[in-house]
Amino acid sequence: MGARIGLVWVSVVLFCAIFAPFLANSRPLLMKYDGRWSSPAILGFAWTDASLLILFILGITLVLLRRIVRARWLVLLAMLFAILVPLIAYRAIGDGDTARLGRFRQMQIAGQLQHVIWAPIPYSPEDHLRDLFDRARPHPRPPGGENVLGTERIGADMLSRLIFACRVALAVGFIAEGIAVVIGVVVGGLMGYFASWVDLLGMRLVEIFSSIPSLYLLLTFVAFFGRNLYLIMLIIGLTSWTGYAYFTRAEFLKLRKQDFVQSAIAAGVPTWRVVFGHILPNGLTPVLVSLSFGIASAILTESGLSFLGLGPEDSSSWGALLNQAVSAGGGFYWWLAVFPGIAIFLTMFSYNLIGESLRDTLDPRFQGRAR
Amino acid sequence: MLGYVIRRLLLIIPTLIGITLVVFGTMALAPGDIGKNLLGDEGSMRPQEREAVRRYLNQRFGLDKPFYMQYLRWLNNALPLGMVTNEKGEYSRLAFKVPDLGRSFVRDRPVIDMVADALPATMLLQVLTIPFIYAIAVTSGVLAARHQGKLLDIGLGTTFLALWSIPTMWAGVMLIGFLANKDYAQLFPTAGLHSTASDRMAFLPTFVGGAFQRGWLLDALWHLAAPVLTLTYAGFAFMSKVMRASVLDNLSADFVRTARAKGVSEPAVLFRHVFRNSILPLITMASGLLPGLLGGSIIVEQIFSINGMGKLSLTAIEQRDFEVVLSITLVISLLSLVSILIADICYTIADPRVSYE
Repeated sequence: MGARIGLVWVSVVLFCAIFAPFLANSRPLLMKYDGRWSSPAILGFAWTDASLLILFILGITLVLLRRIVRARWLVLLAMLFAILVPLIAYRAIGDGDTARLGRFRQMQIAGQLQHVIWAPIPYSPEDHLRDLFDRARPHPRPPGGENVLGTERIGADMLSRLIFACRVALAVGFIAEGIAVVIGVVVGGLMGYFASWVDLLGMRLVEIFSSIPSLYLLLTFVAFFGRNLYLIMLIIGLTSWTGYAYFTRAEFLKLRKQDFVQSAIAAGVPTWRVVFGHILPNGLTPVLVSLSFGIASAILTESGLSFLGLGPEDSSSWGALLNQAVSAGGGFYWWLAVFPGIAIFLTMFSYNLIGESLRDTLDPRFQGRAR
Repeated sequence: MLGYVIRRLLLIIPTLIGITLVVFGTMALAPGDIGKNLLGDEGSMRPQEREAVRRYLNQRFGLDKPFYMQYLRWLNNALPLGMVTNEKGEYSRLAFKVPDLGRSFVRDRPVIDMVADALPATMLLQVLTIPFIYAIAVTSGVLAARHQGKLLDIGLGTTFLALWSIPTMWAGVMLIGFLANKDYAQLFPTAGLHSTASDRMAFLPTFVGGAFQRGWLLDALWHLAAPVLTLTYAGFAFMSKVMRASVLDNLSADFVRTARAKGVSEPAVLFRHVFRNSILPLITMASGLLPGLLGGSIIVEQIFSINGMGKLSLTAIEQRDFEVVLSITLVISLLSLVSILIADICYTIADPRVSYE
């Protein structure tokens, strides 16, 4: 029951992340200018917009094909697309149309457009609303008027920033934890399978990385390497793998002695096949449970970093919006605190609920207990 | 047990080397060489200053030496036990010495002085947070387990899951925005650890000239209330669930069945038998809790303007004072390691069955 609420919110965030340019855009979705129809929104796509939409369509196609093609090929195809499509989009489109985002508004005011259909929120997150500058109402403006949730300090509309921030959150969550899972499972698997000195060395590694508070290590990295979104994702992944390694090691140690593994080894199955084909599929349960909590913690870490002002520059992120809520002069802008905070809270809550339900379902200790 | 402690201490050494390598490596692997990174704002310095900084860095790190030499030199400076230079500047003998963590160029002070100023504030927060977390977690966990399945259990469980999901920064910002703001309700002070008038206050609350004066102690506690609250809620929410699961596990164990069959009263079963066994997972979790608290205190210090290690680190990054950042990460990691070690030793004391596997 709790997991369903969690899945609903995660779907909302996923929807916002994929369809963001259609939900909040300073460029009209459809307009008739000089007698010709065009869609500036689609023409102005950046590579992120295009690749997310294309991947979404490809993903749906692959899921529909699951009765025809074997699952193994589908997964491989999915991974291939996930890598190729963004690369091709980046080379082909680049950053899209970033010039003078207010020009369509001005064209409408000047009466040059015969027909216009705007996005539900007619402001892009990068649009600092310079043409609507009003000295009587300085930014950040409270909710009301044309900005449903208000604006933030440099003038960008809050709701559009919140929607585009879903992308950063989901990207950091999945990619950072993906890296962490891969490292953790590999290290933990090696430790559990070979034991002896590999285990001893591995435990030292786990101890090293779990002793250094990850936020301090992230601070140090950002200080020396600069503020780069991909670097941050990599570092979060590099600091959160220890939990997965611990669980995988325990599972491998346990499964190594099982009959089916012993008979596979006796039958001459090569080591790598034993590990990947026999032990790993059976040992992934605690990793899956931790994954949900891990994604929540990765999103929290990235928000924390943005909150401290060390996130990727000028990117929409819930943490960065929260940072602007309390100003140095003592002013408090409640809409900058409440809405991004609710977004982060709901996302964390959803992933925690999903993780709890997964744990209740998959953990063997719980299955026999009277509820 | 002494053997276990000694083995554990010996095993700390490779971890220590690993931590120092990781911390030093982040600086060494950065784009540009160490000299450029530590010089920071080179363009704004006059030639004499730049020359002095270069000479200092060369003497400290050996800018033209290979990586392992720089690492060993830095390690030698940072540890309390190392090679000391004699009058001619050469390394002579092994001795105990005050760690030399470098010098901050922005504030022209030795880093170790800055750390010594900032560390007590951070430690105060941690030392206050941990007993609160354990007190609330243990009581609520036992309560929830005793009334398992009933409204109290489910209510507490959901509330704590929601509490655990509230990000620390949001809680802090909401606290300071709504409860420490004169526009709304001012229940808490806005910033810092002491009021400006606190130096002239008496230690305990008194009446001065007919008016109530808070006194230094109450004033400090009032300032600490909001930061400590922000740090504890996530900890006790999580620990409470662990405690509850642990108590439930033990309540269905054989030894409890025996105790009840023997006729031991229910409170005695709970407190004399179940309790001591259920606390064990909480002590194990402590090793994970403490680095988390240290990381969380960065955010709390920033929100509530407390001059601790986190705030020092953040201002150092802004001012591009890299030696400070590096030294702070080193000190915090060492602290974290020490607390994990203490947690492990406490676990051995609490559970006589354990031995190092």
